[in-house]
Amino acid sequence: MKYAFYPGCVSRGGTPELYTSTLAIAGKLGIELEEIVGAACTGAGVLQEKGQKLGDTLNARTFAMAERMGLTTILNICSTCQGVMAQANKRLLDDPDYLAEVNEELKPEGLEYTGRVIIKHLAWVIVEEVGLDTLKGLVKNPLADLKVAPFYGCYILRPSDALGFGDNPGRENYLERIIETCSAEPVNFPGRTKCCGFPIMLINERNSMAMVGNHTTSAKEHGADCMVTPCPLCHLNLDGQQPKAQAQRGAKIGMPVLHLPQLVGLAMGLSPKDLGMNQHVVSTKGVEAKASVRV
Amino acid sequence: MRAKLRVKRFSTEGEASTNAFQEYEVDVPEHFTVLDSLIRVREDVDPSLALRCSCRASICGSCAMRVNDRARLACKTRLTSVAKEGEIVTIEPMGNQRVVKDLVVDLQLFWGKVRAVEPFLLPDGPEPEEEYIAPNEAMLNLLTPMGCIMCGACVSDCTSLEVDKNFLGPAALAKSYRFVADPRDGAQATRLQNLNESGGVWDCTRCNMCVEVCPKGVAPMERIMELREGVMDQGMTNTPGARHVASFANSVARAGWLDETMLAVDSWGKFNLPKLIAEIPLAIRVLRRGKMPLPGPLHHKLKGADAIGRIFKRLEGKHARKF
Amino acid sequence: MADHDVLVVGAGLAGMRAAIAAHRAGANVAMMSKVHPVRSHSNAAQGGINAALRGTDDSVDSHIYDTVKGSDYLGDQDAIELMCNEAPGEIINLEHMGVIFNRDEEGRLGTRAFGGASYARTFFVADITGQAILHVMYEQILKSGVRSYEEWFATDLIIEDNQVRGVVAMEMLTGKLHTITAKSVILATGGVGRAFEPSTNALICTGDGMALAYRAGATLLDMEMVQYHPTTLAGNGVLLTEAARGEGAYLINSKGERFMEKYAPKMKELASRDVVSRSEATEIEEGRGVNGCVLLDLRHLGEKLILTKLKYIHEVAYDFAGVDMVKEPVPIRPGQHYIMGGIKTDVATRCWDETGAGRWTGPKGLFAAGETACVSVHGGNRLGANSLLETVVFGKIAGEAATEYAKGIGDFSVSGAWQSDREAAIKAVMDRPANGERTAALRLELGQTMNQHLAVFRNEEGMQTALAKVKELRARYASLPIVHKGSVYNTDLIFHTELGYMLEVAETICAGGLLRKESRGAHFRKDMPERDDENWMKHTTAVRGEDGPTMDTLEVVKTRWEPQKRVY
Repeated sequence: MKYAFYPGCVSRGGTPELYTSTLAIAGKLGIELEEIVGAACTGAGVLQEKGQKLGDTLNARTFAMAERMGLTTILNICSTCQGVMAQANKRLLDDPDYLAEVNEELKPEGLEYTGRVIIKHLAWVIVEEVGLDTLKGLVKNPLADLKVAPFYGCYILRPSDALGFGDNPGRENYLERIIETCSAEPVNFPGRTKCCGFPIMLINERNSMAMVGNHTTSAKEHGADCMVTPCPLCHLNLDGQQPKAQAQRGAKIGMPVLHLPQLVGLAMGLSPKDLGMNQHVVSTKGVEAKASVRV
Repeated sequence: MRAKLRVKRFSTEGEASTNAFQEYEVDVPEHFTVLDSLIRVREDVDPSLALRCSCRASICGSCAMRVNDRARLACKTRLTSVAKEGEIVTIEPMGNQRVVKDLVVDLQLFWGKVRAVEPFLLPDGPEPEEEYIAPNEAMLNLLTPMGCIMCGACVSDCTSLEVDKNFLGPAALAKSYRFVADPRDGAQATRLQNLNESGGVWDCTRCNMCVEVCPKGVAPMERIMELREGVMDQGMTNTPGARHVASFANSVARAGWLDETMLAVDSWGKFNLPKLIAEIPLAIRVLRRGKMPLPGPLHHKLKGADAIGRIFKRLEGKHARKF
Repeated sequence: MADHDVLVVGAGLAGMRAAIAAHRAGANVAMMSKVHPVRSHSNAAQGGINAALRGTDDSVDSHIYDTVKGSDYLGDQDAIELMCNEAPGEIINLEHMGVIFNRDEEGRLGTRAFGGASYARTFFVADITGQAILHVMYEQILKSGVRSYEEWFATDLIIEDNQVRGVVAMEMLTGKLHTITAKSVILATGGVGRAFEPSTNALICTGDGMALAYRAGATLLDMEMVQYHPTTLAGNGVLLTEAARGEGAYLINSKGERFMEKYAPKMKELASRDVVSRSEATEIEEGRGVNGCVLLDLRHLGEKLILTKLKYIHEVAYDFAGVDMVKEPVPIRPGQHYIMGGIKTDVATRCWDETGAGRWTGPKGLFAAGETACVSVHGGNRLGANSLLETVVFGKIAGEAATEYAKGIGDFSVSGAWQSDREAAIKAVMDRPANGERTAALRLELGQTMNQHLAVFRNEEGMQTALAKVKELRARYASLPIVHKGSVYNTDLIFHTELGYMLEVAETICAGGLLRKESRGAHFRKDMPERDDENWMKHTTAVRGEDGPTMDTLEVVKTRWEPQKRVY
């Protein structure tokens, strides 16, 4: 199936390995990606502080571009993009007058959002559209010895009504189901639905690093070999800033953090290098060894 | 149906002292709430179980507790909504606060934060003879924060408070909004200045947890975001938080997408040399892994950047805040 | 030295309003409540608060008349006049404190219609008026810095030489007893709904103040006057505000008829509560109910109105009955809601007869306000939205009067026996051997009994049965054990004590009902269905005796209104 692909800013900036690994697994899963060229940043909740209508208009523009491409579903690879888009879409659909106002702003580009776009994160597409059975069939390298702590990122879980949890209550544990399908063992730990601290990394570094330290440490204490996240912002903090969190905590952590498509890719037998795992800050060697991948 | 409750017990009293889960099973009607079931346990099985509850109708705010890892009002939570027949429901006291006994927590932290925001109307000048004249829309807007029943659910699950007890937290900030947005209050500017300080509006991580757990639709985080707009509109723009927002907006307005490197530099402060020097190791680390996007003028423009810039010109600063 | 000039027991609207008034009058005042003040049951008042503030044709006299008529002429007219005259000022005062009352198009206070009222004079905050006022009142408490003993449970009023000296109370978080002395004490502890099952009342409404005062020699007045609210949810008995009908909702029976047209042709659904509740009960008894209920139909009001002005009850009906009121009518029935009776006070909220005429008894220095008191402004039936009004008007008066009274009291000390006796009594109860009886089971028997025999319809036999049952329960209570022996937050001990309070109060309710040989207001006797103005323009009084209450009567105070036939 073909999707309007929205890579988001960070997969083209701070975490290029997410982009690489997404493309590496998509084809095998039967996911055809056509990138929405020229789509703006979703605003990540930050731009919304400069004006909610500004943020909503930028997202409506993206939705309209997807519609113009003739595609019904936007595929995100970022929890934050997913959440921000879903909230914008809800506001637009809840109030037809507001949608009309926003569409006025899109006219100069000849765009119009009719309100028919479906917005899904890669994790949802894998479970709801590709199907876990299909994925199971593609697992060439079962990650049988691997204990994986899922870290969702806030915006793929909350606010749950805008994210359609009413109709799809299972969305609150898709990561566990994907981990299990890869034959790995999901690890339950207190941080799984909490904030990674990224949004305040540049504002209150101490708090942000405390969050990174808490979550990575508690994953470790609960026996995880690695964490997996569907959000590149979480990855930037949990992986990229882990040395700093370690320093603040005064204790070594060394918790590798995988992007969701990297975990799936490993299970499919792709090489860590093709999945960009050499680009991580925290070494993933231990994971690769456990995953019996020839490096 | 058979209710199976796994309840966290806590006591420091002599022989009864405990800090462990205890399981209870009671037969209850299908329509029972978690609170009804706990009361059944307390009445029929174990009168030593301590919990707070009163109105049974989600208005007094007594019975907030964690049900299956999430803060909820026990009286508003149907048993069948959290467990299928035969499934165990896990019940714990609220988080982020000291436990006194079983499900009863010490609310001093909660009320201390509420007290810290001067939670009372501070009118400007003498009171009028009759009522203040105020638009009904302003009163209706205040209905949302006034709907807060001070149950503590948001404070229990706040991810920022978990790492920093100095943070005012969602309930106190929503309470503060109730005055900032009240046209009768005369201390808006001072209130916003105080909220701009450490522990104020900028320490929220925007994780939406309080929005999710609030049983009354107060959506504290959304109120905090409105307060941030208010703070910036007062001209308080030279904080890491405000610079973060400005830098974010600048890069998207210019190029259509986020310039992560400049975002960091701007938030820390362009002339904050000690910080910039301190971050050199990080820069080297990410550069080595090919992960540092090019900043500033080198940050390439998206194909549609001009159209995006036009939208910015028209809509930037058009706030949704309702005060 | 006394700890305080004024001690307010109970921190709902009446209690907090009293504390603020006393503070403003210069007293060293403290509040004490077994729950945090914002958990108080004033929260549950949904629809609004009455005042004839201004309006096209409305007047204070009209408000007074409606209240007198609503009371079925049992209310003391001097007290009613006082309350209605003070009402406009108190509404403005609440607005100045910060209450976010609904506005009209000019930005001035707006009103809605309510039951038993000739004009729309109910000021409101959506359908959370009580909560909105309670929280603002607490804001004012925080502003004032008034000392607040939160989660302290009063076990005794200290009375020496017929003069109040303070209370003995338990700090619930530690289980420790304390003696808090005060020159005057205001009781503002609310009602006694938990003596009925089901009830709209919160679990904390256990008649504490009534029982404390009664044990201390005060007089309870018109205790048989118990209000059944017409719209409570089947199941847990939660309230759906009268504002629903104020905004235009219909009551319909199983045949789809708006049956109130038959019982109250003019006011229909907005007749006074006793009338509407009896009508519903009649429909149900005569086979036109739906599973023991009738239906409250809001559908024609439209989604927008429901979701703004009646948002909370929409949520309540959905959460507790699974009904979306925008789309379906909700099954409701009359349910115990309020007690018009309470501790006898004069219009200055004093519990003793200041004139020295000895018309009733009560300890000096003791004041009462709110539902726990009976001034009496509600008589045989309270009008909707007059209860919030009563709390603030008489709360304020109590705070000021108690402050004034305290000025005349010199230094004193109290005997340590009050506290040590209570400690011994608690220990004795704690040491009782288990005998299979449980507090909750006795409470349920009490509640079901009262709800069966002292409900919308009553008769001699039923009330005698109830009285006998209450006496039996009191006998069993004398050996009722406590299972949990801990000190910290021991709710088993609290409930045990509360049951003791409720049993004594319930006994006076039964006795009052048996004494009143007529039907008036909420007291409708099927065996004596007529109002008897010749013999019963009287309050019933109950004073604690050796073996149950000693009953008597007291003349109703009339100013300008002679009893008339009550038609709605």
